[in-house]
Amino acid sequence: MSAENELARRLRVCYGKDGRLAYLGHLEVMGTIMRSVRRCGLPFEVSNGFAHRMRIQFSQALPVGASSSAEYYDLMLPCEVNADEALEALRRCTPAALAPKRAALLPRRMPALEAWANRASWLVLLPCAADDAGKIAEAIDGVRARGVISFMRGDKPRRIELGRTLVACELRSEGSSLTMLLETRSTEQGSLRPAVLVQEVCGRQPRSVCRVGQWHEEDDGTLTSPL
Amino acid sequence: MRLPREDLFHLIEPFLGEVERPSRYLNHEWGAVEEQDGPFHACMMYPDVYDVGVPNLGLAILYDELNRLDGVSCERAYLPWVDLSARMREHHIPLLSLETASPVASFDLVGITLAHELVCTNLIEVLDLAGITLRAAERDEDEPIVIAGGPSVWNCEPVAPLFDAVLLGDGEGAVSQMVLAVREGRAEGLSREGILRRLARLDGVYVPSFYEVVVDDSSTRWGYAVPREGTGAPEVVYKHCVDALSATEPVAQRIVPYLPVVQDRLTIEVLRGCARGCRFCQAGMTYRPVRERPSEQVLEAVERGLATSGYDECCLSSLSTTDHSQCATMLRALHDSLASKGVRISIPSQRLDSFGVDMASVARSSRKAGLTFAPEAGSQRLRDVINKNVTDENMDAAARNAFENGYRRMKLYFMMGLPTETDADLRGIAAMSERVVGIGREVCGARSKVSVSISVAVFVPKSHTPFQWAGQLPLEETVRRQRVMLEAASDRALRISYHDAQTSLIEGALSKMGRRGFDLVLAAWRRGCRFDAWTDQFDFEAWKQAATDIGVDLEDVACECFDLEAHLPWDHTSPGVSKGYLQREWRKAMEGRTTADCTMTSCTGCGVCSVLGTHNDIAGRRS
Ligand code: SF4
Repeated sequence: MSAENELARRLRVCYGKDGRLAYLGHLEVMGTIMRSVRRCGLPFEVSNGFAHRMRIQFSQALPVGASSSAEYYDLMLPCEVNADEALEALRRCTPAALAPKRAALLPRRMPALEAWANRASWLVLLPCAADDAGKIAEAIDGVRARGVISFMRGDKPRRIELGRTLVACELRSEGSSLTMLLETRSTEQGSLRPAVLVQEVCGRQPRSVCRVGQWHEEDDGTLTSPL
Repeated sequence: MRLPREDLFHLIEPFLGEVERPSRYLNHEWGAVEEQDGPFHACMMYPDVYDVGVPNLGLAILYDELNRLDGVSCERAYLPWVDLSARMREHHIPLLSLETASPVASFDLVGITLAHELVCTNLIEVLDLAGITLRAAERDEDEPIVIAGGPSVWNCEPVAPLFDAVLLGDGEGAVSQMVLAVREGRAEGLSREGILRRLARLDGVYVPSFYEVVVDDSSTRWGYAVPREGTGAPEVVYKHCVDALSATEPVAQRIVPYLPVVQDRLTIEVLRGCARGCRFCQAGMTYRPVRERPSEQVLEAVERGLATSGYDECCLSSLSTTDHSQCATMLRALHDSLASKGVRISIPSQRLDSFGVDMASVARSSRKAGLTFAPEAGSQRLRDVINKNVTDENMDAAARNAFENGYRRMKLYFMMGLPTETDADLRGIAAMSERVVGIGREVCGARSKVSVSISVAVFVPKSHTPFQWAGQLPLEETVRRQRVMLEAASDRALRISYHDAQTSLIEGALSKMGRRGFDLVLAAWRRGCRFDAWTDQFDFEAWKQAATDIGVDLEDVACECFDLEAHLPWDHTSPGVSKGYLQREWRKAMEGRTTADCTMTSCTGCGVCSVLGTHNDIAGRRS
């Protein structure tokens, strides 16, 4: 490992995705953030070759319509910067609904963020009333017992195995509404989208989906926070 | 009916998860003006989806100018795609602005961009969806004043009944004057008619309802427009013209969209107008005189625009950027300062000579995407007829230079159906293209993957051009000529594509019909036509039926030639180029004689400078 790779030239930024901007697609979020980086004047590395693209990595795509309080990107830097100053500059130049919350410098050599952050927590507002909690819990048990969900994405049939992708699922009643706290794991075979599970157990789309945390899961099951 | 001003975003939000590209409807983009306090509220609207409308520089210029005006707020609106508009109709939701999600029908003034002929049914669609009375003449006193402007105003008669006023020419300055006239008129309690009278007095403003159409022996069957008695409207409305581009804000485009749009980059207009004099080109006639933005202003604007937008590409836009007298210095300076930052500089089209290729190389245009040239016609004879002052030698030199610079792909644009065209000219297209392939093989080696694609459009005669009297090619003849060309092109490295002849026929018919064209547009819209520029939405059968509904035949209309002396349906609106000049150019075309570019030689007498009291404004020396 070269000394170069040890240097703290990776700026990891935690940001949210809020309000109307929940409807942005992943590519749109990426484009917007790259433009925010350019606007704020931070130095960044560009790739070699004709296109000279910004060297930046993003955590896993969030479904369109889902909000989040725990998204991440890693910006590769050509020189060291002050993380607090960088965070402040980014805040000034990013649309408020995608505003960065925290930032830290990390060593340059690390696994790609998208594959590394393989665990997520979700808060899902279900399209059913608190009174339906028992029925929904039963439906969840049924789906887990079957171990697989088959569904359509657009006009393409898909299936997702639940054995490894669904880690935990807990129902909570809040007033008259029913929420689901979901823990998922992404694997090489894919990852479970909360809307797919909700459609399966409730027969309808969720009222809202928010990713509230992302982690890396070590082989022994311990969770490491990205920051 | 004027609707109340209120935020209705909650009405469309439930559908956002169900429609294509919901980010079209979100607002809150970087650079959007969030404070919309008015008290005068204007809404500028592009009659196509957000991703097509956002890059429009004209609308950006007006948005920026109006939001700087004291006491005036300006928002934007676009036409929702068919999936959302169907839901909006079903749930009786009116068209909303983007910034505050207020009903478009609640604004004091609504401005609509006339981008091209094929948005005509969308114009009806936006007004109908907004709940604004379609015909200006039937609008209630308190409904918004609806104005239009843009590149396609030069025969706006087929949609003129929709507009209270149409701005001809440059928008800068004029749009503020219009807004102020409406605001003051409203404050004084003037009637709608009174406000229109004020507007009609402004430079470049055409009020369609003050004109009536007369058909007589001096006109074509579509007649010509004369001022109604007592309105005080002028016989001819001349365009509003900004004398110096340097006096306008160079970074007009401030909004950075979330979704990838048609031209996803910063655009700096470096030049307005083109005096090359191609006889088929409407923009070449209607944007005169030529006004260059000085190089130092461009360089400052690029730096500022990139810093505030965060774009990684900047387009130096104009009708002919490589004609800018300081083009080479500008491009080299930008290349030196931006290449290492991963910022691309692009120019919209290449001049057809060696210099054009040099400039493309400096701009680092993508070797993979290749270069695009527009010889327009395949023979020198026909290029002289259309006044496309390029030779076979220019083409060959450009091709050689491009292949030597590492380009392997080339796209050549041609037109079919130009006046005096023969089969020999069509075979010339194939011959020229094969010659380019041959040069490619000679430079890059016989086995190299040289590819040349040819795109052939159907010529549509446009108003205010020397070819405005010509007829369009009938559909059957178009197909025959396409066959002639295909048979002549045998090299497998050539790829040939044709523009859709049916959409060209609609454009052609609407370009001819004058105000009667409105009946056709309305009938087509009633038969479900909208988004006609989108191939998957265009419905030629519906247009044909609409034509039958109003008792005309599309081909018969589009293919008709006009008498050189006839009064034409658009004679009352003028970009300043005189009809006498256009007639002379037509005669020269028939004799195969060319006319020089007045920015390279001397005045050739088009009339713009004397009529509008202006002049070409060239920053350096052109060659
Ligand atoms: S009037 Fe003369 S100088 Fe002015 S644009 Fe026309 S041809 Fe050129």
